[in-house]
Amino acid sequence: MKIALCSSFVPFVNGGYRNIVEWLETMLLEAGHEVERIYLPEADSPDILFRQMAAFRFVDLDAADRIICFRPQSHLIRHPHKIVWFIHHLRAFYDLWDNPDYRGFPDDARHRGIRTALRAADTAALREARRVFSNSRVVSQRLATYNGIDSEPLFPPVLRPERFRFRGMNDEIVCICRLEHHKRQHLLVEALKYCQSDVRLRLCGLSAGTGYSAAVAQWAHDWGVSDRLTIDERWISEDEKAELLADCLAAAYLPLDEDSYGYPTIEAAHAGKPVLTASDAGGVLEFVTDGTNGLVADPDARSVAQAMDRLFEHREATRQLGEAAAARIGEMNIAWPHVLERLLA
Amino acid sequence: MKFILFSPLATQSAIGRVTSLIAPALTDLGHEITVVRTEQPRLLAEPPHPCTARVIPWTDEAAVRQASGEADALIYQIGNNYDFHCGGLHWLALLPGIVCLHDFVVAHLFAGWADTRQTEAQHALRSWYGESVARDFFAARDHREFVESASRDHPMTEWICSMAQGVISHSHWGMPRVAQSCGGPVRVVPLPYDAPAAREAVAQAGERGVIQVLTVGHANANKRIESVIRAIGASEALRDRVHYRLCGRIEPHYALELARLARSLGVQLTISGEMESIALQRAMNAADVICCLRWPSLEAASATAIEGLLYGKAVVVTDTGFYSELPDDCVRKISMSDEVPELRIALEQLAAGPSSRHAMALRGQQWAATTFTAANYARQIVETSVLVQAARPALAMTNALTAYMEQWGAAPDLIRATDIVAPLELFDLRG
Amino acid sequence: MKVLVVNNMAPFVRGGAEALAEHLIRNLEIAGHQAELLRVPFQWEPATRIPSQMLMARALELQNVDHVIALKFPAYLIQHPRKTLWLVHQYRQAYDLYDAGQTNLPPGQTGADIRQLIRNADDECFRDARRIFAISDVTQQRLARYNGVHADILRAPINDPERFTGGEPQGYIFAGGRINGAKRQCLLVEALADAAKEVRLIVGGPPDTANDARQLEETVERLGLRDRVRLDLRYLERHEYANYINGALAVASLPFDEESFSYVAMEAATAGKALLSTTDSGGVLGLAKDGETGWVAEPTAEALAAAMSAAYVDLARTRALGVSAKNLWESHQINWQATVAALMS
Repeated sequence: MKIALCSSFVPFVNGGYRNIVEWLETMLLEAGHEVERIYLPEADSPDILFRQMAAFRFVDLDAADRIICFRPQSHLIRHPHKIVWFIHHLRAFYDLWDNPDYRGFPDDARHRGIRTALRAADTAALREARRVFSNSRVVSQRLATYNGIDSEPLFPPVLRPERFRFRGMNDEIVCICRLEHHKRQHLLVEALKYCQSDVRLRLCGLSAGTGYSAAVAQWAHDWGVSDRLTIDERWISEDEKAELLADCLAAAYLPLDEDSYGYPTIEAAHAGKPVLTASDAGGVLEFVTDGTNGLVADPDARSVAQAMDRLFEHREATRQLGEAAAARIGEMNIAWPHVLERLLA
Repeated sequence: MKFILFSPLATQSAIGRVTSLIAPALTDLGHEITVVRTEQPRLLAEPPHPCTARVIPWTDEAAVRQASGEADALIYQIGNNYDFHCGGLHWLALLPGIVCLHDFVVAHLFAGWADTRQTEAQHALRSWYGESVARDFFAARDHREFVESASRDHPMTEWICSMAQGVISHSHWGMPRVAQSCGGPVRVVPLPYDAPAAREAVAQAGERGVIQVLTVGHANANKRIESVIRAIGASEALRDRVHYRLCGRIEPHYALELARLARSLGVQLTISGEMESIALQRAMNAADVICCLRWPSLEAASATAIEGLLYGKAVVVTDTGFYSELPDDCVRKISMSDEVPELRIALEQLAAGPSSRHAMALRGQQWAATTFTAANYARQIVETSVLVQAARPALAMTNALTAYMEQWGAAPDLIRATDIVAPLELFDLRG
Repeated sequence: MKVLVVNNMAPFVRGGAEALAEHLIRNLEIAGHQAELLRVPFQWEPATRIPSQMLMARALELQNVDHVIALKFPAYLIQHPRKTLWLVHQYRQAYDLYDAGQTNLPPGQTGADIRQLIRNADDECFRDARRIFAISDVTQQRLARYNGVHADILRAPINDPERFTGGEPQGYIFAGGRINGAKRQCLLVEALADAAKEVRLIVGGPPDTANDARQLEETVERLGLRDRVRLDLRYLERHEYANYINGALAVASLPFDEESFSYVAMEAATAGKALLSTTDSGGVLGLAKDGETGWVAEPTAEALAAAMSAAYVDLARTRALGVSAKNLWESHQINWQATVAALMS
């Protein structure tokens, strides 16, 4: 089949959002399909949003047998066989409307009008699709609540999961993801203050360039925990990731209100390592169940510290959590064959 | 929300009256109102209908811009009278808003506006009605001919509605042109009016007494005054009993003409001319029958007819436009195919049957009191404003795309082509 | 600077200028910029679709981009205050191909309207562009003729000049590049039949169609030249291709009315090889000068045969012609560094 993968991108911001598209492309090519990638620029400022959506409406992909749309507002693209794998709304106009920190513009009549119009456009565009998938139950719920759209959660797998394996358990809890406030590495660092055991923490990932990583390093110094902390602020290659996860004690991933479980969660699970997360991490909790295949702490430093100590001190239990995490992947059918089967149905 | 109401406010303006009713109704709903008076500068000094809202003259550019910058919605009360609405027209072109369209036929308004803008006017005429109308528009020799040809061929409804983000009007008959030319939400809402000075509908003249027939408003040919005179004149019973009174501005030569006609036919006619509000209210209360005939009909709704109903009077109307939409059992409708004889019969029946006349008037009064409410109008203004806000993003987008195409010198057929229009239908909230 | 290269994309067709765009990006990065590619999907059949495609490009908004380099219509209609055009070509079916009666624009008013729209949009784009470069003489001429705009010529450099080191001739004339009727490899084979016995020919490159390959093979058979012609008809790996060039006595490039220098001629000149071309090869004659950098023959088998034979007669002279070809080529300063500098100026 000729399949067009459609998504949006912000120029010069290399987020993990490209992985879902590019990994799917790899798998589709291996399955013998012809794939074309369409990335169009995102512009979500309220005043130009509709011009951008109009541009998407004019995209002509009749040459494709079907199209799969990912990041907003790519679902506006037209096609007789449109599949949407919805990864998130423009949340400022949806569930984050009541949060002025995230909304970024005033709650006045004009913006409420934009909100009404955007939701109507999203709903209409989603209705054009033959099928709508989401990347998590959280997102499916939002689609139902705000757009009245039924969607099937389809969990994004990592590429070549066989790269991740269990080798041993050292003293380190690793957190491999972008260093930014939203991912809350500072919470892990603060937890070190209250840790009773000799557990260590390693933070790896690219900085978002906002000075957050420097701030975290400074706090570590102020709290006197620098000796138990390693910060690798750089691009971590896939091989390095596999190595780190192979040997670590456990992984930590506790973003605030994430849309989906996040690749770090399942990368760790593939390596047989449990994830330490927080109760307000959103989609991560669709994967992690406290005490079964990971640990869910309260989003405060002491609770996180307790969890870290527990992982360190009860290694056998930690190992079992890791094994359950690996099994969870199968339970949730997070696998490429399933993904291809659903998308190509 | 913060609203600005662009409107005349002079006491002579019925639309001003409407505004003075809407403003407090909107305030009751929790909104903030500013009124911008839109009359010709020389009329801005005319005493206004009472209004508790802040009032700015349309000529105070800085104040208007500042107020509109803070406002959530701009509402333009627009009618056919250029003297009353020139300020609204001026600002509508600069600050888009919702138009409350009081007259579907706004040819006079257009003519007043076109006076100093020949080229623009020609362009508007040509694009809406074609080359021959553009040529002939200003060639009409007299008022009657102008009004007739206007309401038939070039009412200029589209010209004003194409400038509006949304349109509220007050009856259905002119809405097709409105819907066709306004890209935003359009709806019909009953015109708000009240008659606080109305006394209880009291049985007045008996079977044999004097019947007071009243026609209110600027006296001109389309109010069919001659027809009423002829109808009365054609019936001995009516000649004996009917006193026909005209209240409202009238040109001296026309007054003379009507007086001569009445005298020649033996009709008792009183021409009162322009009157103070109090005197007018007294005349309304004293009347038995209100003749509110129009041909051709320009207005979306008739304040006079509504007032007549609210005053509990028997109202006689021409079966056209807004008037056709009034309930059959609340008014007497006259068809134009046989106007004078039908009028005569109607007046004779109304004169001869006081109880049925009063019953009809009472029905009309109750129906009018619950229909033409300011509270409902205010709610509809708010709803329409919210709809307009929701329609604005798509409207701004299509305007931007159209501007790109026009800058590329695109032929109109290309701009309207399916490949461009069809994909954008998704954004049309009107569904 | 953050530079966005903007090019067209015909879905599922890997077309011209795709490789160019990718090399441009790589070289922008080498020069110290951040560079990304935006591929704007373009569907021009039926022609009535073109206005909406133009609107799509025009309506796209770019955030986080400092500079745009745009290559083709309608991608170059994208708006940006700092936009440089490197014109590969305009929509020829509204210009020279229209005049030649080879257009997909419909007859009648609609076609005329679309044509006018394209011209007006082009004129506006050229007015607003920061700088305009044309990739070839022909593109420059068309732009001047149809839009009255002057553009400096900026030819596409070779992507990997370091491969073409030259070397000892191995006794064959090499004809590289795509195999099709316009490239006239068949003519070369026919000429070989009339040429001196020592003349050898290697034809290496991907045939456009199976028919093109068959025609060549049949010609070789028919003329009994199997021992003097090697047909390597496939997509050659870069090092294989470079080897053929580096070991050649001379390199033949005789496409009919080529727009520009032709990559084969440029690569041959880089390797210091004498060039063999024909009088009607268009842009190739910018490098192939008879008696100076090689031979330019009439496009007949006899004339070509004479030229091919001449290459073997005086090997020193042939080598000297190759040196001159290299000098002429280098005097043009067509390299990526200069190209990037020009595009960013």
